[in-house]
Amino acid sequence: MNRVRPGDATKGAGPSRSARLTPPPASILWGVAIVITTLLVYVSRELVLLLILSAALAYLLSPLVRMAESAAIKRETAVTGLFITLVVTLLLAAYFLVPRLRVEVNALSGNKPSFTERLDEAIDWIQKEIIADYPAARRMFPEREARYDRLNAFIEHQTANLPNLASHLATIVLAGVLIPFFTYFLLRDSRRIVQFLMDRLPPAHIETSVAVWCEIDRIIGRYLRGLAMDGLVIGVAAASGLWVLGVNYPLLLGAFSGLANVVPYLGPILGGGVAMLIALIQFKSLAPLGKVLMLYLVIKLLDDVVIQPMTIGHSVHLHPLLLIASVIVGGHAFGLIGMIIAVPAVTVLQETTKLMLERRRYQAGLPDTHPRKGVPVQPFVC
Amino acid sequence: MASLHWREWATDPEQLRRLDLLGKVPLFAGLSWRQLGKLLVKLFEKDYAPGETIFLEGEPGKALFIVLDGRVSIFHAGHGAEERVATLAPGAYFGELALIDDLPRSASARADVHSALLILYKSHFDDLIEGHSTIVIRVMGNLLKTLAGYVRAAHARGAGHVATLPEIATALEQGEKPLERPDR
Repeated sequence: MNRVRPGDATKGAGPSRSARLTPPPASILWGVAIVITTLLVYVSRELVLLLILSAALAYLLSPLVRMAESAAIKRETAVTGLFITLVVTLLLAAYFLVPRLRVEVNALSGNKPSFTERLDEAIDWIQKEIIADYPAARRMFPEREARYDRLNAFIEHQTANLPNLASHLATIVLAGVLIPFFTYFLLRDSRRIVQFLMDRLPPAHIETSVAVWCEIDRIIGRYLRGLAMDGLVIGVAAASGLWVLGVNYPLLLGAFSGLANVVPYLGPILGGGVAMLIALIQFKSLAPLGKVLMLYLVIKLLDDVVIQPMTIGHSVHLHPLLLIASVIVGGHAFGLIGMIIAVPAVTVLQETTKLMLERRRYQAGLPDTHPRKGVPVQPFVC
Repeated sequence: MASLHWREWATDPEQLRRLDLLGKVPLFAGLSWRQLGKLLVKLFEKDYAPGETIFLEGEPGKALFIVLDGRVSIFHAGHGAEERVATLAPGAYFGELALIDDLPRSASARADVHSALLILYKSHFDDLIEGHSTIVIRVMGNLLKTLAGYVRAAHARGAGHVATLPEIATALEQGEKPLERPDR
């Protein structure tokens, strides 16, 4: 039986005004909001990428700010002091390192004959070396002219997009200005932003929300700081190893290896590949090439066994297949930056979903999926 | 003189006030200024309006709350009616059992007036004590003293009969005076 509510008698026989204005279900509203947000992010993806890079930099620096804050130093003072120190350090590093790097870059790009010719010559030497040892291998190698044409076409194809770099110069300069600017304000105001959000959260959701925030903060912070430390160690190890082996441009190659290392799986291959290419051109022999390969394999082994567990630790719990898939999808969507942020983004998504499901399961009174004898159900990780 | 002026300029008075308050919280008694500073940066702060519920009885608890400003009441749903079991002033703390286990809250907390609370989440606490044996020994020692006080209080209340586990659990959540030694 329908109940008569106050005010029903005054309404007409047709659909009432309030019935016509009934808001759509929350799920539809959420869906629309997610679609609009995704579109906005896609349209302004360059700005979003700058913000992501700034946030990553802020995460790297935040432990230093927290250290100052724990000594009751004003956050603004700590952040400003940190930025001044960073600028001075970077200027000093530039003063000492840039001239050396410039010499290496100039030597690499300015040496005559051209890079293709030198590479072709090196390959020719290696072919001769192999054929001298194994004459039967002669049939496997193409004629020099055919190989040179193919090599030239390959390098031209690979470097076809390089002139476009000049058109992106404005974006690069803008990024150089905006990233420190955003980083400064993110570092200075992050506590206020969190506070603002906390004060607007209803108390019923506060523990879940903060649990999720804690987990995101912990994963991203540990991953990014670990990655930076890992890259630094790899860069130093590669530069030292190449210097010991007598390979040209050890500083440049070490810096490249360290930077490339931030891209999971592909980075070490890229770093090692470039170093082997340089060694190939320089020594025109297989033995030094093997030494460089061995150096990078040892570095990779040390990285997996010793360095990564100490730096990145167990902050990422992704299945290897999911990890590779996320790197590929990230690369397609946002290029190089997408490849770097794919792993923490998917980890955050995975952990947040896990937390929300655990919370829902707890509220619904369902048993834990992984019951531990004598241990109560844990609705939060954080 | 100049260095004193510089220190005043660089120091955050609000952080100093919080550090001072943390130093007076019995749970953190014995911790050095530096250790309290490490703890302070791990705390969240949240404002509550008068009458606003902080948490409800039966909800999962994962945080310790410290009263920074205002006043908070702890309620326990007895036999139908809600019973106020404690009123907490700045410097007092509640929900400390969340740092130990993951059992649901056995009392509700509500802000009496406009209040500001510092919230310490279990994982942050775990992060803090990991590898810091001095902090572990001091905080766990203080926590054990508190729990011992609660158990004795529960025992004294039920003079003549041995307290059951649920009674002890209720007493643990009702501990309005953590360091009170009721048996003396």
